[in-house]
Amino acid sequence: MQRCPHCNHDNLEGALFCEECGFNLQSDSQNTITRQLDDESNEFSVKSGWGTATFRDQNEVIIHVRDAPEPVTIRPQVEYLIGRSDATSGIKPDLDLTTYEALDKGVSRIHAALRRGEDVISIVDLDSANGTYLNGQRLAAHQPRLLRDGDEIRLGKLVMHIYFK
Amino acid sequence: MRVNQDYYALLRVSPGAGEEELRQAYRLAARRFHPDVNKTPGSAILFREINAAYEVLSDARTRAEYDQLLADHLNRLPALQLETYYSRSHLKKLGEPQLLYVMLHLQPVLEMNLISDAPLNLGLVIDRSKSMQGQRMQHVKSAARRIVDESRPDDIISVVVFSDDADVIVPARKNSDPKSTKAMISTIRADGATEILKGLHKGVDQVERNLEGRYVNHLILITDGRTFGDEEECLALAAEAHAKGIGISGIGIGEDWNDNFLDAIASRTGGSSAYISSPYAVTGFLNDRVRTLATAYAERASLVVAPSTGVKLDAVTRMSPNPIELSTDDQPIPLGTIDGLATTSVVFQFQVETDKADLGEFFIGRLDVSGEVLGSAQMQERAVEDLTVQVTEEHHEENPPPELLDALSRLMLYRLQDRARDALEEGNVIEATRRLEFLATRLFESGEEELGQAAMYEAQRVSQTQALSEEGAKRLKYGTRALFSSDDRG
Repeated sequence: MQRCPHCNHDNLEGALFCEECGFNLQSDSQNTITRQLDDESNEFSVKSGWGTATFRDQNEVIIHVRDAPEPVTIRPQVEYLIGRSDATSGIKPDLDLTTYEALDKGVSRIHAALRRGEDVISIVDLDSANGTYLNGQRLAAHQPRLLRDGDEIRLGKLVMHIYFK
Repeated sequence: MRVNQDYYALLRVSPGAGEEELRQAYRLAARRFHPDVNKTPGSAILFREINAAYEVLSDARTRAEYDQLLADHLNRLPALQLETYYSRSHLKKLGEPQLLYVMLHLQPVLEMNLISDAPLNLGLVIDRSKSMQGQRMQHVKSAARRIVDESRPDDIISVVVFSDDADVIVPARKNSDPKSTKAMISTIRADGATEILKGLHKGVDQVERNLEGRYVNHLILITDGRTFGDEEECLALAAEAHAKGIGISGIGIGEDWNDNFLDAIASRTGGSSAYISSPYAVTGFLNDRVRTLATAYAERASLVVAPSTGVKLDAVTRMSPNPIELSTDDQPIPLGTIDGLATTSVVFQFQVETDKADLGEFFIGRLDVSGEVLGSAQMQERAVEDLTVQVTEEHHEENPPPELLDALSRLMLYRLQDRARDALEEGNVIEATRRLEFLATRLFESGEEELGQAAMYEAQRVSQTQALSEEGAKRLKYGTRALFSSDDRG
């Protein structure tokens, strides 16, 4: 038997990786292909808890951009564009994230949109360069996903939380 | 006498072997694989074949006849080459079972330059149930049209659509009029429920009309739903199709289809299965799949693994191309189409009992791969490898080959998600959560950030709702499986 130093699981002799936790049991060996995580990856948390998806007419959406002092409160209409404004092309999205270092954080000019449905609200990625993530999962472009109270959205590297009021 | 069998390869002797050498080889094989000694299913198959070979070769008259028939074949090199990597070459004698990993690389011998000439006999079986309506159907149709565009005039294409019922939209025929084929594909409309058996039946029926050795016969099933009540019959039909030389690959779109079912179909026929989360990816995947078929080197390949007594075969996994966990219950294990441009890589996990073993050489078992090399004279090509290690008193310090370690580090990720699902099925939420968290950690370590996030997310979901999301379960399974091969053809 070989005891895993990481999780104490007993593995059969000859195992190369712990079957319980995947720890490389030959940790002294230099042959592994493990790539190092870049330091930014811990920046994004995965939210816990399941908020309601119901969003009625009288509700408002509160968008809390991480590290921003003030949240933004909006009442999205049919389609609410999120991105950053660009003087040259004259693009001016409904929610302009320029002041939140949008350019540095990889937000596209037209990045994503919130859409009103009947008693729900959804988010859709508009084929942005760096992607839209809902609770850590990357969205396929043009495929709307329902939003829930408390969801985390990431546009490129810009993290924000959505609350319903 | 089956002239399409390489009897010399079965007995592991050269075509010039004398009588005594043959007898020795037969005795050794009988000692290893006789059903009285060795109860594994693989050894029963091997023993039957070895017996047949010895019967022919031990009689001077039948041997001469056989040699005559095979005169051309005996003078050239084997068409398939096996290469093996062991996790260790020395096992310490122990009172407990120990693990041994072996990786097999199957390399086509390309001196004959045989690849890519074999025409395809391809059947598309497309789900046109209500849920396919919209983008899914559009993308599947355009993917199908693209396949028609890229196929050669000699390829045979058939298209079957199914919902509650199945229709042959394009009957099996040579691709000489791609325009009208594409027009017929364009007429597909989504409606009704998903009943896979009916579609599969008609699909197999179409491919069966042109079953010839020179074709690569393959069916691709595209679905987004579950079939109810007919899964067992579908699997039986898949086994039948495989016996006739037809491989089946499955593509699941969205999150509602049954992954275990599509995997079972694919592993029974040497095909592959894949998960496509977004309809946009259909074209790329389908195209890749057809391209691997078009560069086929050998068809209807299969593998027999006959572990020796005291050795248990735990798992067989095809790492590349088309990664899939292969079932060890039924032998021979279908390998399907062997790609002429890529190395086929398979990993075996053995459990070895050494307490009764003598010190010195220890026979682990035999790997026997056979398949029909396309374009050659209808000869069943065979390559045999006997696996042996040294059993020693002392522990031997050795480093596993990097190729094998790399493969196992990838396989480990897949196994972790598999074990998390097992724990969940047993109702052990705490263990399932823990395993998903371990999986997330390992994924982050390997730089697979998105998949790691998905694992974290599912871990939290499981701890709160006692269930994985359908989407997350598939994403983790097919996501970790896609990591098996480092190249992008898988």
